[in-house]
Amino acid sequence: MLLEEKTSQEQAFEPLIVAFCCNWCSYAGADLAGTSRLQYPANVKIIKVPCSCRVNPNFVLRAFQKGADGVVIAGCHPGDCHYSTGNYFTRRRFTLLMNMLDFIGIEKERFTVDWISAAEGSKFAAVMNGVLEKVHKLGPNRKMRDKRWKR
Amino acid sequence: MEKIAAAVRERAKRALATGEVDRVFAWKRGEFWYDVTPAVFETADETDELLWDSFCVANLSKYLTGAVRQGFKVGVFVKGCDALAFNQLLQDNRISRENVRLFGLPCPGMVDPEKLKKAKRYRGVRAVARAGDVLALQGKHGEQQVEAPAYLYDKCLVCRHPNPVVYDELLAEPQPVRTPDSDRFALVNELEAMSAEEKFLFWQEQFDKCIRCNACRNICPACSCEKCIFDNGESGVAAKANADSCEEQFFHLIRAYHVAGRCVDCGECSRVCPAGIPLHLLNRKIIKDIQAIYGDYEAGLDPNVPAPLATYRLDDADPFDGHQKGGKK
Ligand code: SF4
Ligand code: SF4
Ligand code: FES
Repeated sequence: MLLEEKTSQEQAFEPLIVAFCCNWCSYAGADLAGTSRLQYPANVKIIKVPCSCRVNPNFVLRAFQKGADGVVIAGCHPGDCHYSTGNYFTRRRFTLLMNMLDFIGIEKERFTVDWISAAEGSKFAAVMNGVLEKVHKLGPNRKMRDKRWKR
Repeated sequence: MEKIAAAVRERAKRALATGEVDRVFAWKRGEFWYDVTPAVFETADETDELLWDSFCVANLSKYLTGAVRQGFKVGVFVKGCDALAFNQLLQDNRISRENVRLFGLPCPGMVDPEKLKKAKRYRGVRAVARAGDVLALQGKHGEQQVEAPAYLYDKCLVCRHPNPVVYDELLAEPQPVRTPDSDRFALVNELEAMSAEEKFLFWQEQFDKCIRCNACRNICPACSCEKCIFDNGESGVAAKANADSCEEQFFHLIRAYHVAGRCVDCGECSRVCPAGIPLHLLNRKIIKDIQAIYGDYEAGLDPNVPAPLATYRLDDADPFDGHQKGGKK
């Protein structure tokens, strides 16, 4: 009985992904994915940021704390940042953060950064589907979770 | 060490008597023989209390920020790790070099009272004298000699810079480095090898102990912001949460992250933590990664070299290229 309940619960697991998308490339990429009617999971919550380097590590932790099972940061390709160099800083910052999350036991697969241009609607869908798939395998994130938070 | 202590006292006295500086930051005896506390000296007479012994572990550099801001000219004693901290504060524009006179003290490593206690060497001791690596524990019933290295702080055993990297004058002979730098990362490597579950449990157990006294933040020479996110009541992480909201993970990760690339690995955070959380391991993990990914960089060595997170290279490693499709390569 209990086992059944668990499996049905697991089947019902719909990962929640929070995606921070930079206004100039990735957000437009998401838009394109939408207008081209590409399939990507509905439970990706997009948060628009002016530039990928606007994302503060706090945001990522907060997302996990408040219910995300996976977090994505998407910015312009290195070299294409609207503000010239923002995403180079993003790259360093989140390389270190990813390693640190791993160090305290939060699976690396739950967090990623990617570069998605305004023309890459299909890449946007692929990245989101990729993260979703990995997070699905890992199951719901229980670490770093505010226990008062209810889905 | 007693001979050097006399010279240290003499130097402080002279600096204050001649008006060379308005304040001297040093150490004096606290309540117990193993208890040495940081102290501010304002007149030459007061310096009789000043001391330099095996328990002068407290880093004095952080105290400079307030005094220098008030416009005082300050003389301060710096060991190796304190000098790194000084450079970091300088790099972060928290103090000005002209207002500080640095008295360098090569450090033989400081004695951890907890280790003496554990080894049951504590009882009846009234004072500790030191000659090189031999400690003389002086008690009611005479003297007992022990080897110092067994009782030094862990951080001192893996110290890379016993000799100050910056100073105006050096008050003693340089000290040798005890171990190769790689030894610092032994525990980090051990943790890295664990499974995600094990790592999480290890850290959860550690973080749970935190009482959010903020001592680690207050002592840290890299945590020198005037306004701190953890003082913001609205942040939701300003104090120990009364429900399980993962506030402690948030606090520790963000604090470690805020000093990423600026932590000088002085080990003070772990030393002052009343809960005994090995905070320095988080910072060492970051230091290790920075060295591995962005090349040799040591915070506090040279304030003119930009910190690794304040700069970039076009060809930095990109661990996020799992989906390479189109775009510039
Ligand atoms: S984080 Fe800890 S080891 Fe690093 S500079 Fe601050 S007090 Fe020193
Ligand atoms: S010193 Fe220790 S107990 Fe105090 S806030 Fe830091 S980690 Fe928590
Ligand atoms: S504007 Fe897109 S990453 Fe900076």
